[in-house]
Amino acid sequence: MKPILLWSDTLVFLLVITLVLFFYRLRHDPQTRERWSQVFSTRLGMVTFTVILTYVGIALLDSLHFRKALDTPAAATGDTGAAAQEVFYNNKVSSVLDVLLGGMGERFERTYSAPFALLSFEKKNMKDEQGRAVRDFPPLEHAGQHLADPADKWPDVLARSGTALLWGILLSALWLAPQWLLLRHSPHPWHASWAVQAVVLCLGVWAVSISRYYHILGTDLGGADVLYQSLKGVRTGVLLGTLSTLIMLPIAVTLGVMAGYFKGWVDDLVQYLYTTLSSIPGILLIAASVLLFQVYIDLNPDFFSIGMEKADARFIALCFILGVTSWSTLCRLIRAETLKISQLEYVQAAHAFGVSHTRILGRHILPNVVHIIMITFVLDFSALVLAEAVLSYIGVGIDPSMGSWGNMINGARSELSRQPPVWWTLTGAFFFMFALVLAANLFSDLVRDAFDPRSGRRRSET
Amino acid sequence: MSQATGIPMRVTDLSVALAETGESIIKDVSFDLHPGKIFALVGESGSGKSVTSLAAMRLLPQALVITGGAVQVAGEDLFDLSEAQMQRVRGRQVAMIFQNAMTALNPVQTAGQQVAETLRLHTPLRGDALRKRVVQLFAEVGIPDPDSRFSFYPHQLSGGQQQRVMIAMALACEPDILIADEPTTALDVTIQEQVLALVRDLAQSRHLAVLLITHDMGVVRNTADEVAVMYRGEIIEQAPVDDFFHNPQQAYSQRLIDALPDLSHFQSAAVDEPLLRLEDVKVYFPIRKGVLQRVVDYTRAVDGVSLSIGRGETYALVGESGSGKSTLGRAILNLEDIAGGTIQFQGKPIHSLGRRDMLPFRKRIQVIFQNPFSSMNPRLTVGEIIAEGMLSLGLGLDDMERQERIGQLLERVQLSRDLGQRYPHEFSGGQLQRVAIARALAVEPELIICDEPTSALDVSIRAEVLQLLQQLQREFGVSYLFITHDLSIIPSLAHHVGVMQRGKIVEQGSAQQILTAPRHPYTQALLASVPRIDRA
Amino acid sequence: MFAYIIRRVLYAVPILIGVNLLTFLLFFVVNSPDDMAVSQLGEKYVTPEAIAAWKTKNGYDKPLFLNASNTGLESLTDTIFFTKSVKLFAFDFGRSESGRDITSDVSTRMWPSLAVALPTFIIGIWVNICVALLVVMFHATRLDRWAVFLFVSLMSISYLFYIIGGQYLVAKTWKLVPISGFHADGQAWKFLILPVLVGVVAGIGSGARWYRTLFLEEANQDYVRTARAKGASEISILFRHILPNALIPILTGVVVLIPSLFMGGLLIESFFGIPGLGSYMLDAIKSQDFAIVRSMVFIGSILYIFGLILTDISYTWADPRVRLS
Repeated sequence: MKPILLWSDTLVFLLVITLVLFFYRLRHDPQTRERWSQVFSTRLGMVTFTVILTYVGIALLDSLHFRKALDTPAAATGDTGAAAQEVFYNNKVSSVLDVLLGGMGERFERTYSAPFALLSFEKKNMKDEQGRAVRDFPPLEHAGQHLADPADKWPDVLARSGTALLWGILLSALWLAPQWLLLRHSPHPWHASWAVQAVVLCLGVWAVSISRYYHILGTDLGGADVLYQSLKGVRTGVLLGTLSTLIMLPIAVTLGVMAGYFKGWVDDLVQYLYTTLSSIPGILLIAASVLLFQVYIDLNPDFFSIGMEKADARFIALCFILGVTSWSTLCRLIRAETLKISQLEYVQAAHAFGVSHTRILGRHILPNVVHIIMITFVLDFSALVLAEAVLSYIGVGIDPSMGSWGNMINGARSELSRQPPVWWTLTGAFFFMFALVLAANLFSDLVRDAFDPRSGRRRSET
Repeated sequence: MSQATGIPMRVTDLSVALAETGESIIKDVSFDLHPGKIFALVGESGSGKSVTSLAAMRLLPQALVITGGAVQVAGEDLFDLSEAQMQRVRGRQVAMIFQNAMTALNPVQTAGQQVAETLRLHTPLRGDALRKRVVQLFAEVGIPDPDSRFSFYPHQLSGGQQQRVMIAMALACEPDILIADEPTTALDVTIQEQVLALVRDLAQSRHLAVLLITHDMGVVRNTADEVAVMYRGEIIEQAPVDDFFHNPQQAYSQRLIDALPDLSHFQSAAVDEPLLRLEDVKVYFPIRKGVLQRVVDYTRAVDGVSLSIGRGETYALVGESGSGKSTLGRAILNLEDIAGGTIQFQGKPIHSLGRRDMLPFRKRIQVIFQNPFSSMNPRLTVGEIIAEGMLSLGLGLDDMERQERIGQLLERVQLSRDLGQRYPHEFSGGQLQRVAIARALAVEPELIICDEPTSALDVSIRAEVLQLLQQLQREFGVSYLFITHDLSIIPSLAHHVGVMQRGKIVEQGSAQQILTAPRHPYTQALLASVPRIDRA
Repeated sequence: MFAYIIRRVLYAVPILIGVNLLTFLLFFVVNSPDDMAVSQLGEKYVTPEAIAAWKTKNGYDKPLFLNASNTGLESLTDTIFFTKSVKLFAFDFGRSESGRDITSDVSTRMWPSLAVALPTFIIGIWVNICVALLVVMFHATRLDRWAVFLFVSLMSISYLFYIIGGQYLVAKTWKLVPISGFHADGQAWKFLILPVLVGVVAGIGSGARWYRTLFLEEANQDYVRTARAKGASEISILFRHILPNALIPILTGVVVLIPSLFMGGLLIESFFGIPGLGSYMLDAIKSQDFAIVRSMVFIGSILYIFGLILTDISYTWADPRVRLS
C-alpha cells in the first residue's frame, strides 16, 4: 500500500486545520461564542450541522488516498533477491472510504439494473442450459448470488436488514455513549444531533451489509453501483463548496478591506476591478477558463503520472476559477462594512492614539468583518454544490472520470424517456445533493440570523 | 362612569410582561388624563414609559403581552374591544405621535396623502374637501405654505415640519386624547421649543388630554401640568408639576431635578496660559457636479473659527447638529485636513504634521466620544482597550507596569480593578463612558476633546460622569474642549463658551457672560429653550 | 440627472476596455493560437502545416500586439489584438471558427431567447410577490414557518431537476405540451408554456423567500406603527404601506437583469431545444468555438452595464428620496 496525496487532499486538510485553528482562536471571543451558541440552541441547528458534518466526514475519509499493492506474479518472484522485492502498485487510487464500504465500488455489472434487481435491465443473447440461444435478461453478477430461489429475495432483504439494524443500534450505542457522558448536562439540544448520528450509523451499516448482496440503488450505464457513485460524489461536492470559497477569501477580504479603509484611488481601483469582473457573464467566464485549462492539460500530459491526478488538477483548476470569478460579491460586502466600521468611533479613537494602519486593520477592522466572511462561507457553500451540477452538464465541470452528482445527472438525464424509465441514477444524485444543500441552506439561515446585526437589532428592541 | 367624571382616559393597574419568560416590564400603572391638560410620564430609558403608551394603544410588539389592568376611554375598556373596534378608536379617539418623525412617516407617500389617509379611514371626507381639510390642518399646526407642502415627501421637509405633519395627522379626526412619545427628542433645541409650544396651544384650544412621554425634565418643567415619574416599570411619584419641582418626595425624583442647570452658579475663569490656539480654521468638503465631477463649491463645515483654550480650563463649544462643532474637534485631532488657518498646541503648529510627526502630540491631546458603545471595539477586553494608547504611543511600560496602571486607571474612574478582563457589552453606558475616560487618561494628556460625552446617557448618570470629569480636571489640571448641544450642562462645567452656528462661532466669552447676558440672537434663542428652575 | 447618465456611460468605457483586455489575455496570451489550433484540429492531424493553415484561415497568423512588418497605423491594426478584440467595440464580431457570421447569428437568435426569458421574468416576479404577500399575512404562525421551510427546500433542488422533472411529468407522462422544440409562427406558445412554467417554478423558492424578508423588514419600520396608530387595518397596512416601500428594493433589484434577458437561459434553451442565444453559447462552449464565446462575453458585459445604469434610473423613478447627481 502506498499513500497518495492529491493536491486537493492537501488543500482540504489544510482547510480543516485552518478552520480548527480559527475556531480555537475565536473560542474566547464573547460575541462569537454567544452567537454560535444561539445557532446551536435550536434543534434545527443541531440536526443540520450534524448532517453537514456527516457529509464532511465522508468527504474527508474519501480524501485519504492510497494505491493498493498488486499481487506480484509468482513467476517473477521465483528467485529471491532485492530486485524481486520491488512492488507494483495498482493504477487505480482507492481511499479509506472505499475500504469502509467493503468493496461496494468493485462490484460491476454489465449495464443498467434496477434497485434490488436480480436481472439486468437489458436483454442479451445467451445460451440456456440446453445450449439454445435465447434472448432474455441476464442475471446480475453481484446480486442475489446466494439465493436459491429468486422468490426469496424480499424475505432475505428483510432478514438481513433486521440483522444490520441490530448491529447499527449496537454501533450507535457505542459511538454515542461517550458523547452522552460528556454532554448530558449541556444546555444545547444534543439529543437532536444524537438522533441524526444514530440514524446515519444505522443507515451506513445497513447499506454496507446489504450492498454485499444487492445493488441498493441499482447500477448505471457502465454497470457501476449507483449508491457508491452517489457516495463518491460527496467528496466532490463538499470540496468544491469549501475550496472555492477558501481560495476567493484572501482576495476578497484583502481587496475589500483595503478599499474600504484607505478609500481614494485604492477604492477606485478595487471597485473598477470587481465591476469589470462581475460584468462578464459568470458562466461564460468560467466555461472559457475551464476550456483553456483543459487545453493546457491536454497539451502537457507528462505532468500527471496517473489519470486521477489529471482529473484532480482539473478539479482544483475549477475550484480556482470559481473562486477567482466569484470574489466580487464578498469584496463588495466587505468594502461596505469596512467603510462603515472605519467611520465608527473606536477606529477614530485608535487614530487619535496614533495606532498604525496595520494594527487598526488587524485589531479593529478584520475581527469585525469576520461575521460577513462566515455568513458568506456558509451561504456560498450550497450555491457552489448546485453550480457543480450545472457546470458538469455544460461540460465544463468535474472530469467525467471523477465521480460527481453533476456527472451522474448528466449521464442519466435522457434515460427517463426509456421504457420503463431509468430513474434510479437521478434519484440517487437528487437525494444526496438535496440533503446536503437543504441542510446547508437551513444552517446558513440560522447562522445569518445569529450573526447579521440587522436581524439582531430586532431582538434587542424593547 | 369615567365619562360622567369627565376623564377622557383612565389607566388602571396596567401591567405588561415579556411573552416568553413572563418577566414583568411594567407593573400596576395607573393614571388619569384630563381635557386640556398635559400629563407627563417621565423616566429614563428602559423605565417602561414607552411600553405604557403602546400598551394603552394595544400596539405592543409581539414579544410583550398585557397581563392585567384596564384602559378606559369614554367609559369603554379598550382591552374588551375587538381588533376591528380598536382600529376605530385609534386615530379617532386616541391619536399618537412618535419620537422620530423622519422614520415614523411613510417615505414614499406625500405628507398630504398620509394625513388624508387618517381622514379617509375615519370620516366620509373625499376628494377636494379632503384635500382642503388637510391643508387647513397643515395651516393649524404652523406649516408654512401649507398648500404646496401637501405634495411634499417627508424627506423634503425639515425635522420640525415633519413632526408638525405628524401632529396634523394625529389631530385630523379631532381625537380627545393625544399620546406624544418623546415628540421632541430627535429635534434641535430651538425647534424643540416651537413644537412643544404647539402641543401646549393645541391642548388648550382643542381641550385635548395629552399624555407626554419624555426623559427630559426641562420639557416637563416647561410643558406639563402634572407629572408621574416612572422607575423600573412602576410609577413611583405622581404630582402636579409645581409641587413636584418644589417638593419631590422620592430621592430618585430629586436626582432628576438636580440634573437641571443651575443658572446662578458659574465656574470662575481660570488662569490664562493658552494651551491650544485656533486661528481662522477652515474645514471644507468639496461639492462635485457635472459630467466630470468638477469641484463646483465647498460645504463650509468649519468656516473661520478662532478660539483659545487655557491650561486646566474647560471651553464649551455649543451648537446644534450640523453646526460643524464635531468636525472642528476632528480637525484639532488631525483626523480631518484643514483648508485654512492654523492650529497651535503650546505655540507649535500641529495642523500640517504627518502621521509620524503627530505622534508626540497624540499623547497630549485625547478624545472622548459621544456613544460609549460604538467607541469601544466589541472584540477587545476593556483592559486591552485602555492599553491600546499606551502601547501605540510607546509609554515605555513593561507588561506588569501596564497592568498595574490599567488597574489604577479603572479605580480612578470609580470602576473595580478586575473589570479589565470584561468585554464592553457587559457594561452599562455610564460605566463604558468611564472606561472611555480612563482610556483617554491612560496617556496622560493635557487636553481632552469631549465630543458630546454625555448626550447618550440618562440624566442621573450624566451628572455622575460630569462630576468625574471635573474632579479629574482639578486633580490633573487637564483642559477640556467640551462639544455639546446641551446648554444646560454648561454652567457647572465650563469656564468659556463659544456658540457655533453654520461653521462659525457667533459669540464667545465667559460662561457667565454668555448665559446671563447673551448678545447674539441665536444664543438668545438657544437659551430661551433651556428650562429654568428657581432653586429653593 | 442627465449629467449623471452621461457620466455612467463614460464610466462604462474603461470597464468594457477591461473586459476586452481580460478576454484577450485569456484567449490569446494564456493560450496561444497554436494551442487552440492543436485542440481544434485534434491530435491526429497536428502537423506544422495544418496549424499554420488553420491559423491563416481563422486570422490568427498575425502578431499579438505589434506588427513589425507593417509601418504606420498598419503596424497596430494588422494584429490579433486589433482584429479580434478592438473590433468588438464596433459590434463587428467577425466569423466563428466554423465560419458563420456571428453578428447575424446573434440578431436572429436573440428573439427566441427573449420569447422565453421575458415571460418567465415577468410572471416570475408577479408570482413571487403574490406568494410572499400571502405568507407575510400569516407572519409568525405555524403556516409561515412551514412556508419558509418549503421555500428553502425548493431552493435546494438543482435547476436541472426542475427541467428534467417538468419534461417528464408535463410533457412525457401527461402529454400536455411538446417536450421540446420551437416554432416562430402562431404555434410558438405551445412550445413556450413548459419552459416558462419550469423557469417560474424553479424561481419561487429563492424569490418568494427574499421578498418575504423584504416585506418583513418593512413591517418593522416605524411608519407601519404610525399607520397602526392611525387606525388602519392590517390588510390596508400591508397593501398601502408595506408593499409600495418593499417594491423599491424588489424593482431596483431585478432591473439589472432586464437587458440580460436577451441572453436567454443556457439550461432551459438547451433542454427545450430553443434556438436562442443561451443554446448558442452552450454549443459554442461544447464545440470550443472561442470566437463566439468572446463575442458573447462582450455582449453580456454591455448588457450588464446597461442594466446597472437602468437600475440607477429606476431608483429615481421608484423612490422619491433618491436624486442622482
